[in-house]
Amino acid sequence: MVKFIESLFHNLSLWGLPVIMIITGIIEFGLGLYENKWNKNERILDIVCFVVPKVLIRPAIVYFTLLALPVILPGFKGVFSWVPFWWAFFIIAIADDLTQYWYHRLHHQVPWLWRFHRTHHSAPYMGMAMASRQNLLYTIFFSQIYLTAALTYLGLGYAALFVTGLKSLITTAAHSSIKWDKPFYSKRWLHPIAWVLERLISTPATHHAHHADSSNDGVGYYKGNFGNMFFIWDIIFGTGIITRKYPAAYGTKAYKNEEWYAQFLWPVFKSRKEGSELSVTGPIVADELPENTDHQFKREPGYESLPNALTRLS
Amino acid sequence: MKLQKETARKLIRDAIISVFIYAFPVVLMFLVFYISGHKPWLKNETRTVQKQIKNQQP
Repeated sequence: MVKFIESLFHNLSLWGLPVIMIITGIIEFGLGLYENKWNKNERILDIVCFVVPKVLIRPAIVYFTLLALPVILPGFKGVFSWVPFWWAFFIIAIADDLTQYWYHRLHHQVPWLWRFHRTHHSAPYMGMAMASRQNLLYTIFFSQIYLTAALTYLGLGYAALFVTGLKSLITTAAHSSIKWDKPFYSKRWLHPIAWVLERLISTPATHHAHHADSSNDGVGYYKGNFGNMFFIWDIIFGTGIITRKYPAAYGTKAYKNEEWYAQFLWPVFKSRKEGSELSVTGPIVADELPENTDHQFKREPGYESLPNALTRLS
Repeated sequence: MKLQKETARKLIRDAIISVFIYAFPVVLMFLVFYISGHKPWLKNETRTVQKQIKNQQP
């Protein structure tokens, strides 16, 4: 059984996930979930973003793990290989996903970083097509990849295989236009599971809200819901909103259907669209930035975010 | 466009809390080892020494 699960995750990390994404994408497309919004420019961008990182990023990580780390951390290879599996799993799950939460949050809240992440938010639809859609520099500097590679070098690699596999499945499922979490909200007897699920991991409802084109309708919340595998970071830091509803429209209001190469390779290539955030003379952030990420959280009665509670107590 | 003061304050506050969250599983693991008397790193050292002896044998 252990061997089976092991080979399952091993294959998932090699070829399984892209295959799952392609099959799910075909189903989404067949169900009409892209609503004729997948035009030529979007198609090229999505496909380039799906293929190029798989060809470029994987060798870069292998290079980093096999060549750079022995130079940076000589003599540390495998020093923590004694850590029992479940502890290693717990350590990597927190280290990897909390780092990605920060990487993601900073790209939303620090104005000059926004344009590196904008490509992921410009898609006017949800689904497998846009799940990998990122600016190349955003992908290259994906901080948690290097952290997990370092932890693998230190001896936690076996657990990393399972954490990264599980994380890929959860984040991919959260981007899907198939609203698989809906039954958890509509069937009363599933509500206790829904309560735990939506606070623990990213679901289509919470992550779709993050991709909404508006933060003012009480459902969409692109100013928060930064969690990737775990949603619990948004609960702890008060940056989340849980409504169990799905936004009416996705993308960003400032989208000007910028050229796919400008979205993929900004700032190397700039957009020619006038007033675009990706153009030479365009604004850094066309939309206003979040002033207070706590105030819109639809809280349970008596809820108080951890930082606010600490501030009040101090 | 500048980073707003309130956002910057929250980023710093949450970053400090994050340091504790990063440390939490590691601290908890050693606490459990301390309470249970379990020392898995010694097992690893024994295995390494055994390996070295085996390698030295002709």
